[in-house]
Amino acid sequence: MEFSPIRTALAPAPEDFAGLLRNRGLYPPVPAALSPAPAVASGVPPTHATTILAFKFADGVLVAGDRRATAGNLVVYDRADKVLEIDKFSLMAIAGVPATAWEMARVLEHSFQFYRRSQLQEMSLDGKVRALSKLLRDNLGFVMQGVGVVVPIFATYDLEASTARLYFYDAMGAQFEAADFAATGSGSPAVRSVLHYENTWSARPLAKRKQEEAVLLALRALDTAAEADTATGGVDRRGRVYPIVKIVSSEGITTMPEKQLARLFRKHVA
Amino acid sequence: MIEEPYRWVEAIANRREYIEHQLAGGSPIAALNYHDGILLFTLGRERQKIFEIYDRIAMGGIGHPGDIERLRMAAIEVTSTEGFARSAQDVSLRRLANYSLSPILKAAFEQVYGPPFLSRLLFAELNRGDGPNLFLRVDYDGSIHTNGGTFSRAFENFGVISGTNASTGRMEQFLHGKALANLSLEKALRLALDAWTVGHLTLGEDPGAEMPSAEQIDKHRGEQLASTSIEAAVLERTSVLPITWRALPDADVRPLFTTDSSL
Repeated sequence: MEFSPIRTALAPAPEDFAGLLRNRGLYPPVPAALSPAPAVASGVPPTHATTILAFKFADGVLVAGDRRATAGNLVVYDRADKVLEIDKFSLMAIAGVPATAWEMARVLEHSFQFYRRSQLQEMSLDGKVRALSKLLRDNLGFVMQGVGVVVPIFATYDLEASTARLYFYDAMGAQFEAADFAATGSGSPAVRSVLHYENTWSARPLAKRKQEEAVLLALRALDTAAEADTATGGVDRRGRVYPIVKIVSSEGITTMPEKQLARLFRKHVA
Repeated sequence: MIEEPYRWVEAIANRREYIEHQLAGGSPIAALNYHDGILLFTLGRERQKIFEIYDRIAMGGIGHPGDIERLRMAAIEVTSTEGFARSAQDVSLRRLANYSLSPILKAAFEQVYGPPFLSRLLFAELNRGDGPNLFLRVDYDGSIHTNGGTFSRAFENFGVISGTNASTGRMEQFLHGKALANLSLEKALRLALDAWTVGHLTLGEDPGAEMPSAEQIDKHRGEQLASTSIEAAVLERTSVLPITWRALPDADVRPLFTTDSSL
């Protein structure tokens, strides 16, 4: 631990935590020029093998993700947590290369805290949404190399407008606010269809559903995705591995207890 | 001229006198244990003086705002990068003060051609286990005074800083021996206010004067409360998040002092 007590130049800006990390060699620098992936690597298409879904319901926004981590056709890990808490009201769910994604979540989490502590005010909601976008943008070099694609979803509660907000991103950092739902990962086409159908033609749109109905829908949608997509983990009942389901509401973040998921699953899904 | 040893000693002594003079008006800050953690407290009207540094570390500072700001930013940068590169558990106040802040402060103080830091800092760290909380005072010359909490044996359950040594001593004398461990937040706030009042009353006093009486404290407390803002924050052990800091706004704390002034 060391520091230079006299800031001679004002770069990086004192509130830019990623910049501070780069200064200390703790985070990869932004490449000045982008080079495409070498020909050898192009045989392996970049995958973001996972299923993440998020939708707004009566209490706020629900974010759910399966637990499987894969490398090509290998299952590497069956207890991965892809829905990460960034602060009291914000969740980031990740599809993509785990090493990059978890590091990004870690930088983001520390950035928000660092901003609050150093600037003595909470980062605005737009600022937070943009911060993730910038991390993705800075990661473009790795995306081009085909080794670090991350496609996240960001869910947070807007305390000023008293409403939950949901954003999805592309791998280059463009951000989009979702009106009703968002999905990412290899299982997302199936999930998107399910959510669209449920939202449009079922008895009640997603936004009107209560918590238990919402959790059940998430479990069913993930099960649907796992049916066709090998990279999405289903429920492992022997190992008692259930998807991660988290809810962002005006109260903060709630993680659905495994017991409740198990009960719902036994009763209504399998 | 400075190259002669005697001149150097003289220059340091002058510098010390100058800094002490600059700090002499600084409003005291008191930090003390209570049932759920640590309370930090001061009264003021100019600017914020109590800050969050990391998950379990808070800081109070008196002196020049520019210097406090530089040290505060440095402390946040050091702890945040350590927390990121290793883990939040690896961030410790002992390391921050001994390895980062103290050498820098000492160097700045003794290099007589450069500017010293016109500031006196108070740090508090909430312990993770059953051990005592650490309170630590870092002075402009890099000297560190602790409550002993580093060695799992705390001699005091509080830490204070004030503009003068006499006043700091008075505050310590006032808080010494008080049973703080099971104090409710409300009682801790009242005790902290009294400790602040003692410190503020004795800022200009001669070292030989007596401890202010209870009436003097009562009177001075009332006068000061009317003309200043309350600044208070806690590091709470009961927090569900890793972040333990919570600021207590003036509007929430003030009713405690105005409804019933007796302890």
